[in-house]
Amino acid sequence: MSKQLPTHEDASEKITVRNVSKAYESTQALEDVSFSVSAGEFCCIVGPSGCGKTTLLREVAGLEEPDSGSVLVGDEPVTDPGMNRGMVFQEYALFPWRTVRGNIRFGLDRPACECADCEERVRELLDLVGLADFEDAYPKELSGGMKQRVGIARALAVDPEILLMDEPFGSVDARTRDRLHAELLEIWAQTEQTVVFVTHDIDEAVTLADRVVVMDADPGTVQSTISIDLERPRERTDHDFVDSVARIRDELGSPNHRRC
Amino acid sequence: MNHQADTSSNTVVAARSEGDLRRYLRGFGGLLAFLLVWWVGAMTTQPSYLVPGPLDSLRAFIDLFTTSTAIVVPLFGSALVLPTGLAHLAETLFHYVPGLLLGASCGIGLGLLMGWKGALDDWLRPLIRVLRPIPPLAWVVFAIVWFGIHHTGAAFIVFVGAFWINFYGAYGGVEGVSSELTDAASTLGVERDLSMLKLVALPSAAPQVLTGFRTSIGRCWMIVVGAELFGAPGVGYEIINASNNLAMATSVAYMFLISLAFLCMDVGFRLVERRVLAWR
Repeated sequence: MSKQLPTHEDASEKITVRNVSKAYESTQALEDVSFSVSAGEFCCIVGPSGCGKTTLLREVAGLEEPDSGSVLVGDEPVTDPGMNRGMVFQEYALFPWRTVRGNIRFGLDRPACECADCEERVRELLDLVGLADFEDAYPKELSGGMKQRVGIARALAVDPEILLMDEPFGSVDARTRDRLHAELLEIWAQTEQTVVFVTHDIDEAVTLADRVVVMDADPGTVQSTISIDLERPRERTDHDFVDSVARIRDELGSPNHRRC
Repeated sequence: MNHQADTSSNTVVAARSEGDLRRYLRGFGGLLAFLLVWWVGAMTTQPSYLVPGPLDSLRAFIDLFTTSTAIVVPLFGSALVLPTGLAHLAETLFHYVPGLLLGASCGIGLGLLMGWKGALDDWLRPLIRVLRPIPPLAWVVFAIVWFGIHHTGAAFIVFVGAFWINFYGAYGGVEGVSSELTDAASTLGVERDLSMLKLVALPSAAPQVLTGFRTSIGRCWMIVVGAELFGAPGVGYEIINASNNLAMATSVAYMFLISLAFLCMDVGFRLVERRVLAWR
């Protein structure tokens, strides 16, 4: 196993995961996982089901605590969820009793927030994700792709430094996914946020990421990290793109992990 | 194209209303058949008070609104003169409504807290296992010795009935709150337990809470009549009072009055429910 991981503390590291382990009743979800994400970086985590990539993301979010090791955001250890880390969920997790506008407003209405220009901010986000015509719709009236746009807008509303995305486009059709990829990259370019994006789709990771963290399952460990130095927008048929996909596939290597 | 779509949607509407019409006709047929059986039964049964006929019952029902009765408004103590039927209905509502509202509020409150707070659940669950199976009407003995069987006593019995149904509605609703939604809320700055209850658990449990309340509307009508059979004033009391005088048609009239009152409340609440739960 090759672990070319930065052990030094870099000033520009936004997220540092240090020797994190986490066990559930029957499985070792994460074992001694270390890696870091620089400020403004788009980092994808890929790996087979059960490699603990979602657990890892939830630990960065503060929704779960590691058994040992630590997660730092900037210099601060993560103990709880916080508004500096926005999260986008696989199954959207929209509040079904709130309209699109109500969902996007949710974080803005928390007392910790300055709400002077809330309405303006919501309008801005509705435009950003192209849902201005649906502001009064309830989630049940939206397609999967639209729901996830709301999910992204809701997470962006409070202007978090970090956007954590847990297989956000896993339940939308391929064409919508392509469009959402383009939109996400555009938003990322505008907001200069640090993004950690979990997926089991290698193509998706290579389309989006500056750097891909490849994980292995049972126990969940970091196999390697691979930089993707390709111009955006990236074409799936490009030689370099295909090359990167192949490298990651090799890293995921062993036959029982083929399904990712 | 457009025209075609119009025609096809018109066809759908027509088909639907045709289905509706058939259903209404069948329902109407069922009612007529019941009336016929009732009428024949009343004609052929002697003595006549055993089964009062539909016409006698209708006459008794009309009498409820052509005669008037004075009742005393509790708390205010002032007398109020209303058509007899409405007067006794009002008497029932004087204990039904407070019992229902208070019982529902307490039941929903405790259900939310217990469903939300594991520790409280641990403390109270065995106690509730023991108390829950006691039929609300069994409390009538305490209603009598504590409050006397008047408005307060009857309200107490209604309270017990409303309490449990609403308790379980709220409890089940909060237990079913998805952890994804609470996760989402906590990444969006919801920190305190109470805010989570208010912002996520309560709206998420609203469908079950409202279903619980709607069920309790009906259940409490059964309970309230039971309580009044013991002597609290109201429509239930009038049913037994009339039958003591062998005025069975009047008893039937009050039975239908209860049915009507329940129907109005149920339809009214369904409208509220549909509005509140438009997001579903």
